[in-house]
Amino acid sequence: MKLKKEFITHNTQNESLLVPTGSADFSGIVRGNKTLGAILGLLKTETTEAEVIEAMKERFDAPEEKIASDVRKVIDELRKIGAIDE
Amino acid sequence: MTGIYRFAGVNVQIESLLPDIHKLCEAYRSSGEPDITVASVQSDIDLERERSEAEDVKEGRPVRRFSPGYLETLAVYRAIAEKMPYCDTVLFHGSCVAVDGEAYLFTAKSGTGKSTHARLWRELLGNKAVMVNDDKPLIRIDGSGRAVAFGTPWDGKHRLSSNIAVPLRAVCALERAADNSICEISKSDAMPVLLCQAYRPSDPLALSRTLSLIDRLGVRFYRLFCNTDVSAAQLSYETMKG
Repeated sequence: MKLKKEFITHNTQNESLLVPTGSADFSGIVRGNKTLGAILGLLKTETTEAEVIEAMKERFDAPEEKIASDVRKVIDELRKIGAIDE
Repeated sequence: MTGIYRFAGVNVQIESLLPDIHKLCEAYRSSGEPDITVASVQSDIDLERERSEAEDVKEGRPVRRFSPGYLETLAVYRAIAEKMPYCDTVLFHGSCVAVDGEAYLFTAKSGTGKSTHARLWRELLGNKAVMVNDDKPLIRIDGSGRAVAFGTPWDGKHRLSSNIAVPLRAVCALERAADNSICEISKSDAMPVLLCQAYRPSDPLALSRTLSLIDRLGVRFYRLFCNTDVSAAQLSYETMKG
């Protein structure tokens, strides 16, 4: 899976954003913290949910279950707005 | 049909199928060499019709029928807005008023009352308040974040605009309320409304440039809760002016 090309990631000083181009069906904005930014960054290239969880475990010092559940939650939301190419 | 016009300091050659766009842009005609060219084809006009009808259905209102010539004016502005990020310029959905040589952009989703609030400024300030553009001004943002608002002929249903360039002092996000209040907000707080009301190109690279331009936009940001009494304009003007 990977992020569709119609979705652009953008990091400001305080937050991470996912912004759809004018040709995407979804017209809102996804905003989040650095965790979201890291997950979005990993989804820019072809990957799997397990690989994203593994990469996040290496970057963040948090319980494995917490990381796995955060990653699943984000990917589920991205699927809902049509931002993921399976 | 072809003509060259100057918008936000950029010479745009417009190649159209119908004459309406050239009539609309007459006051912006330029004799310079084109910096960019936009050419519309029948499918662009058809796409504008589909978008307009889909929006009417989404908003739950009767579907409006527009002439092909009018729809082509929309298609041309869309094509210009797609290219403007490469000229450090973004199209914003909002009503922009200039007073004493400084511009103020009121932005919000459709139907909130941007044009109504701008009308209250004209009521309050008379000839001192000059409409830059009542609907879709272009904003150029230089490398240090300074912004200039430009009039364009795509100026909303009341047709209010001037072919002028005015330094942008503030962006004000409007929300309807029974009582008037205003506060200065951080750029981070203004980000959602800025991103939603800026034109988002279909081209990912142009969108990325748009986001970088908004990032460096160095003006003041306010959130105004307002009703339609002229006292709302008094409050926003007194708070935001230099």
